[in-house]
Amino acid sequence: MIENNILRISNPVSWLTRIAFAALLTACGGGGTDGSSSIQTADERRAAAAASADRPTRYTASRFLTQASFGPTDYDTEVVMKLGYGAWIDRQFTLPATSHRAQWEAADAAIRAANPASNGAGQDQVWESFWSQAANGPDQLRLRVAYALSQIFVISAVDGNIGNQPRAMADWLDLLGVKGLTTYRELLESVALHPLMGLYLSWLKNQKADQTTGRIPDQNFARESMQLFSIGVVKLNPDGTRDLGMGGAVETYGPNDVAGLSRVYTGYSWACGARNASCFLNGNTGGVSDPDRYIKPMVPYPQYHSTEAKSFLGASIPASTAADPTGDLKIALDTLAAHPNTPPFISQQLIQRLVTSNPSPAYVREVAAVFIGSGGDLKAVVKAILIHPEARLQSNSGGKLREPVLRLSAYLRAFPHKSDSGGFKVGNTDAVATSLGQTPLRSPSVFNFYRPGYVPPGTATAAAGLVAPEMQLVNETSVSGWINYMRDNLTGGVGQFNGTVNGVAYNRRDLQRDWSAEIALASTPTDLVNSVTDRLLYGLASDDLRALISGAVAKIAIPVLNRAGTNQPAIDAAKRARVNSAVLLTLASPEFLSQK
Amino acid sequence: MNILHNVSRRIFLRRSAALTAVVGSAAPLALNLAALGSAAAQSAGGYRAVVCLFLYGGNDAFNMVLPTDAASWNAYRTTRTQAPDPIALLPAGTLPNTAAAAGSPARLGGILPIAPLNLQGRSFALHPQLGAVQKLFDTDKRLAILPNVGPLIMPTTKVQYASSTFPKPLRLFSHNDQQNTWQALGPEGTTRGWGGRIGDLLAASNSTSLFTAITAGGNAVFLDGDVVRQYGVSTNGAVPLGVDSTGKLYGSADVGAALQRLVTTTRTTHPFDADLSAVAGRAIDAEQVLRTALRTPSNPLFGTAPATGAYSAANDPKLRYVNPLTGLEAANSLALQFQVVARLIDAGMRGATGVTRQVFFVSLGGFDTHDLQNRNQAVLMAQLAQGLKYFDTTLAGLGALNQVTTFTASDFGRTFTSNGDGTDHGWGGHHFVMGGAVKGGDLYGAFPVLGLKNASNGNFDSSPDQLGNGSLLPNTSVDQLGATLAGWFGLSASDALSIFPNLANFPADQRNLGFFA
Repeated sequence: MIENNILRISNPVSWLTRIAFAALLTACGGGGTDGSSSIQTADERRAAAAASADRPTRYTASRFLTQASFGPTDYDTEVVMKLGYGAWIDRQFTLPATSHRAQWEAADAAIRAANPASNGAGQDQVWESFWSQAANGPDQLRLRVAYALSQIFVISAVDGNIGNQPRAMADWLDLLGVKGLTTYRELLESVALHPLMGLYLSWLKNQKADQTTGRIPDQNFARESMQLFSIGVVKLNPDGTRDLGMGGAVETYGPNDVAGLSRVYTGYSWACGARNASCFLNGNTGGVSDPDRYIKPMVPYPQYHSTEAKSFLGASIPASTAADPTGDLKIALDTLAAHPNTPPFISQQLIQRLVTSNPSPAYVREVAAVFIGSGGDLKAVVKAILIHPEARLQSNSGGKLREPVLRLSAYLRAFPHKSDSGGFKVGNTDAVATSLGQTPLRSPSVFNFYRPGYVPPGTATAAAGLVAPEMQLVNETSVSGWINYMRDNLTGGVGQFNGTVNGVAYNRRDLQRDWSAEIALASTPTDLVNSVTDRLLYGLASDDLRALISGAVAKIAIPVLNRAGTNQPAIDAAKRARVNSAVLLTLASPEFLSQK
Repeated sequence: MNILHNVSRRIFLRRSAALTAVVGSAAPLALNLAALGSAAAQSAGGYRAVVCLFLYGGNDAFNMVLPTDAASWNAYRTTRTQAPDPIALLPAGTLPNTAAAAGSPARLGGILPIAPLNLQGRSFALHPQLGAVQKLFDTDKRLAILPNVGPLIMPTTKVQYASSTFPKPLRLFSHNDQQNTWQALGPEGTTRGWGGRIGDLLAASNSTSLFTAITAGGNAVFLDGDVVRQYGVSTNGAVPLGVDSTGKLYGSADVGAALQRLVTTTRTTHPFDADLSAVAGRAIDAEQVLRTALRTPSNPLFGTAPATGAYSAANDPKLRYVNPLTGLEAANSLALQFQVVARLIDAGMRGATGVTRQVFFVSLGGFDTHDLQNRNQAVLMAQLAQGLKYFDTTLAGLGALNQVTTFTASDFGRTFTSNGDGTDHGWGGHHFVMGGAVKGGDLYGAFPVLGLKNASNGNFDSSPDQLGNGSLLPNTSVDQLGATLAGWFGLSASDALSIFPNLANFPADQRNLGFFA
């Protein structure tokens, strides 16, 4: 399906470039990224892609960065072109993480210093840290992977138990950034024991059964840690396709597995000064709480841990006289990590978050094989995903819809903005009709903003047998909402409104851009449109699209400067309207909204 | 203009030929639609709408509708009184203890008795926050209770359930799969919902299918049929795409026109691009109609005009509820959705949107009460009650009570057992159906037996209706509920059999639950 549908990729800025590019390819013996001409077989295409993998062009480097970062910038594009994909990835892995929690704490201290009576920083400061790093962080790959993982290992601030702990939310982002580049097993354990996961899936202070009264352990984390964080609901082949046994799909677990695993997930609660009932239930002892209890890993309280026999997924822990919460948890997490479903289940979703909604079975199998061969090394998995020939070639069933957060991040990186406050105050972007309809760490439930297998009913996508997870956020209101939000962002800047900052009156939105480079091109619409579409579409803008946009832009008349020079403001306004129009039309185009 | 869909497009063209003489060929499309709609409304015998209210997360129906006969009450109190935070509600008549913890049963006060016409030899009550529902049930008789509903392939006993080969719905107890099964009669991946399928078969009575299936509660597979596509409306109504009221963008009509051309056409063969442009096209077409078809939200029929300044739905007292944890008023997201649905129903009844049959979807989330159930469910019940009351009152004002039927749905019911401060995933649950056409004040279906757990084997042996952890084995299927609604909507018994794949497995005299007059 994918093999037979290689698209023509290059629509370089000018004919001259295009001819030069083709000549270069010919000189090099053909191949390169343009798969349309001489390449016949899948193997040959793979070989060509591999050969070209480490000499990216400006366009292919930008396309790569759309998958591997929050969007291409001039600088990163240059670096990818210089280093090649593999070396860029390796270098990214060496860059240190920047702590979201430290940034949140600094913001909190500043807010309290300015107003001792205030409640300090909140969720907004989590988004500030998220967006400032997404827009400007040097360790883009780490950040992008962490964001992908935040949609697999989901917690959500929509739940007040989470939303009321913004410092711990920032810590959660740090966890995903750091542990997201270790092993799957280490990540799974860190995620499982973070108090926010404990709260969100209600296993913090989960207690063993009470045989006399009939109370049972909470099953929430038992079920979702299997369904969503490791193995999924049906048995998979090593290539991620469903194992259709004798009578159709085979379920991986049943109510008894959930009940068995729920006994393992008992007896964990707050880090606290003691291991007594007050610490277990309330997180304090003698009226004293650990101020870091929302970020320190949960700790075992053997007296609340089940000693019953525990069977799940073929593993079996016999009944015991002494409770062993740590040992039982190790067996459970080892079982999940070693389950044959886990490598294809996690690999497929990471591919979907970074590269394409519809990876071929071969792509999933090859990444899953790296997962297995490396002992679940997520660095190796991420690299395998990004340098795979299927990631590096375009096809007309490949790619993914850009979700709203990644659209805005691509815009902010293509057209860098400065923050008046220094805080990068993008704010909450939940509103569907007037904003993105999506805020990081605010999905409606543990099932994320969209499901990996979502098929939009009655669509061309469905008819082609494809899935499109991000399409679950697309409807008549959200398509209009995106365009209206960006229309206003182009005229007024992005984010929350500032009156004054440190005594300086701004009276405008926090993120502002100097558009003078684009304004300088405004008199020649084709140059303006080529510049804008190059930044946002890495060569995917067809002649038709560019003609449509530049035709409209040209209709905005720029007055001729009069003798007295009094109409300069009208000229400036017209040029700015041309820039806004060129950018907005590009951002509204299906070419931008789906990342191919 | 691409406003019309396949089947109904032909009907539209036929009708518009007849109408050209009346309104003139140059009349705007919206006007044509209005004329068509009223014609259609008269010929099809009036307007009707069904509204699905989805309680996302799996509502704990055991604490929503409670049997209070001695045996049931004993089983309930015994099973649900568990440390550290008992989730057993208190008997009717218990006064709220204002010193008790927010949301706790003692703070909420006793359950609210109701008097169904057919008591089935028992007695019943509602969650303490459902005062408005109590009135709708007992006094107004516009609300009925459907006990123990859930997805079923066929009537199923406990013994049959225990057999691994007996046909059962796939992936029971799983949120996404059971949401999908309630809405589309199959687990995740099933892409035709029964609301949309009903819309397909009724497309002929609508001059346009664009407004046949509308969601104000997020994308929902419930509303997608073979032909009918859901339209996603914002709670404020239709949102213009990019342009101002004169069609300009950044002051330019040319740029505005280019934007609309650009988003509704494709320049690639990628299916994602085709689908995006289709949605954008519907957004533009729908907004063009709704801009004039909808009356304003501040109209006293729907809301409250502000004394000064711009209307804000979130501040409209009609759309606010009292949060039982804080005692403070807050905007009710469910009432906001009901408001735009009421405005659309009003437009439909006036013939302004060219439809005589509409299916709506609204939703309320947060029902996955594994923990903190007392607090969280109390807030949700307060929102549910205020939302239903607002919608009923608003429909009364529109003279639309008999035209609109609202029903609740949810992922699943929950366990009868407590995990210490909440409940886990179950199967069957009790539901509400509301409207002037509903024979309210009664139960439709046998109320399940609530038993005690057998201490020796951990099973609920004393009840024929309870499975592991006391979860309910449904007695009424989603297919039966859907078929009853479809019948009221005007579909034939054979149409219902074509939409509901399991309906034929139920005896012919039980395929309609009988809650319509």
